[in-house]
Amino acid sequence: MLTDDFLRQLCSLSGELYEGIYLEGRRQGWLEEEDYLNSSKDITRKNVARILHLYLLKRRGIKDIGDITEAYKLRDLFDCRVCANHVAQVYLREIMPAKNLSREGEFLWFDLDGEDSIQDNVEYIKRALNQEPC
Amino acid sequence: MDNGRPSVINDSRLRFDSFANRSDELFTKKERLPAMGWNSWNAFGSGNTEALTREMASKIKELGLDKLGYKYIVLDDGCYKPERVNGRLQADEVKFPSGFRALADYIHSLGLKFGMYNDIGTRLCSGAEVGIYGYEKEDCEDYINWDIDFIKVDNCYYMWDNATFAEPSNAKYSYAPNIKSITVEGKTYYSTKDAVVTGTRAEAKGGYVSFIGTFDGTAPDHTPVGLRSSELIFEIESSSDRKAELTVNYAAGEEEGVGSWLQVAVDDKYFFDEMLPLTKTPDTFTNSAPISIELKAGMNMIRIMNHRRQENTLHSYALIKEMLIAAGGDKDIVFSICEWGKTQPQDWGHKVGDSWRILNDITFQVGSDGNNGNAAWESDYTTSVTSQYNKAVIMDEYSGLLKGWNDPDMLVIGMDRLNFEMYRSHMAMWCMMNAPLMLGMDLRRVKVGDDIHKIIADEDLIALNQDPLGIQAKRIFTTFDCESPDKTYIRDNDRIDVLAKPLSDGSVALAFFNISTEDKVEAVSVSREKILSMIGSKMVNPEKFKNASSFHIRDLINKDEQDVSEDSFGIVSLGLCDCKVIKVTPI
Repeated sequence: MLTDDFLRQLCSLSGELYEGIYLEGRRQGWLEEEDYLNSSKDITRKNVARILHLYLLKRRGIKDIGDITEAYKLRDLFDCRVCANHVAQVYLREIMPAKNLSREGEFLWFDLDGEDSIQDNVEYIKRALNQEPC
Repeated sequence: MDNGRPSVINDSRLRFDSFANRSDELFTKKERLPAMGWNSWNAFGSGNTEALTREMASKIKELGLDKLGYKYIVLDDGCYKPERVNGRLQADEVKFPSGFRALADYIHSLGLKFGMYNDIGTRLCSGAEVGIYGYEKEDCEDYINWDIDFIKVDNCYYMWDNATFAEPSNAKYSYAPNIKSITVEGKTYYSTKDAVVTGTRAEAKGGYVSFIGTFDGTAPDHTPVGLRSSELIFEIESSSDRKAELTVNYAAGEEEGVGSWLQVAVDDKYFFDEMLPLTKTPDTFTNSAPISIELKAGMNMIRIMNHRRQENTLHSYALIKEMLIAAGGDKDIVFSICEWGKTQPQDWGHKVGDSWRILNDITFQVGSDGNNGNAAWESDYTTSVTSQYNKAVIMDEYSGLLKGWNDPDMLVIGMDRLNFEMYRSHMAMWCMMNAPLMLGMDLRRVKVGDDIHKIIADEDLIALNQDPLGIQAKRIFTTFDCESPDKTYIRDNDRIDVLAKPLSDGSVALAFFNISTEDKVEAVSVSREKILSMIGSKMVNPEKFKNASSFHIRDLINKDEQDVSEDSFGIVSLGLCDCKVIKVTPI
């Protein structure tokens, strides 16, 4: 799913005005300039996590889950120091799932640079917008 | 650095063998106490803005923090446009509409100093494609034009190591291949039979030696003390000075522990410093092409090794320092190395930096405008006060006025999930350990005289950190069972530690920290003899301390004062995560 399509969906489902969203989102602190520059590229899971987390924080006033140690079981959580909290928040809120790479046990992988289907991304947006403050 | 591979290193001062040599430094070193100031990251993450930064600078003044030494206002990640403009860095025009120079001018107009951020890799940690790699000259010119006084340089997307966001296969530069044997003029010497392994990093496996290189210190798993790398050494006797050919039986890889880059030295002279061709698998062995070496009459130590993990990183930081000097002359710029302890910077950081981070971040749950962010007292990873403290507290011998400072990351005072006692102990720990004191909170929440202000503006604690003698405290006792409290890496937090720090006026600061999350009713004391035996050699007047008939005690936490004639100093209880800090002055 392209970043721009993702943002169109987010706007459509949340009631945000799509026109000018790249600038307005930056002013409001939940989008970055890279989102505009990458608008015609497929959106990565770490960027979905960032946008949804910051959208909830900045636009919906939903505070962070304080204790994220349950997310430490994501084996790639600390591969990304700047997105670790975004990933933890959407994972712990069950907005975005992790993948279990192990057949027998548990080897959970968020897959930061992975890309998901349109249906999955739309589902993530819906789950995010259904969040209640903790 | 060359395109596609690390540079040839011609300057022996960048070599592993020179790390301990303090007489031949790369740059003129300025004696400097730990930096104090405010950094945007823990407070606002990538969401920092010019407006917020100006407010923080104003608050530093309003709260009187500048008078206590907090003077550096540092922009962390998230302040640049995500791509270069005509090959140059540029401010994000939404977040920093006036540009960096205007912000620097404003900060300087307040009598404060201005700091910025970059990465030795190709991108910043945020992903912005403006890492300094390949643009060292241009970026340093811009930093000088922006009138910076401080630079923090991170390690994401680094080309020559498997650092954060970098290619995992970059580990090929960081480790030697697996080595089964070497052959010198027809005679074969086997790694697991004929060689000596230095350090504790290398591992012998079914007939070969692996992990020839340097520990990755990013995570809290390994002690920072002692030799942190391994070489394979073959002692070979020669009847005369002569040239010889050496082949290495190796299997190369591209993963942590098994690399492709090999260094060969005989004693202290390097003869090979190159990538070997990959083998089919990391345990498919083959012979290298012949390597020419020189043997001397007598015993020769043939060293099979790879110190490039440290040497490359040092080289990258040194290049930035060199370019800052080239662009700015003698402009006084604090250089904050932030490679997360990955390459054991306590060994080499003194060559380039004024401080070096010792671990990955103290928190990943940074705040934003209206959100304090979260921190923790303890955690299994680096993300807590005690994770950072537990490592830094045994690193005192690596720091000093002419070396630089261990940096256990920025302060998390003011973030959620820590209480007042934790904040206070955190501040006291960082002050005792001579850590840089970089505030990481939204200062708009602070009022003069409130609880947080009392901690961050505690003149007694700050005086410890900024004491001109410039000596990091040493842990002289711990209730954890160990023989060497000053060197043992302890991650079990169920304990009380006692730190001692010599001060310039002949006093000693003693700090008792309850590291655990339970109250402790336990008498813990240290004797005068113990203090002298552990830090006497660093005290300005140990004889006076030894012969004093009594001591003046100032409690730096509750501010009580008294004279005592006892020969030991201690506590009988400490609340959970709490501390007692006293200044002991011989009378």
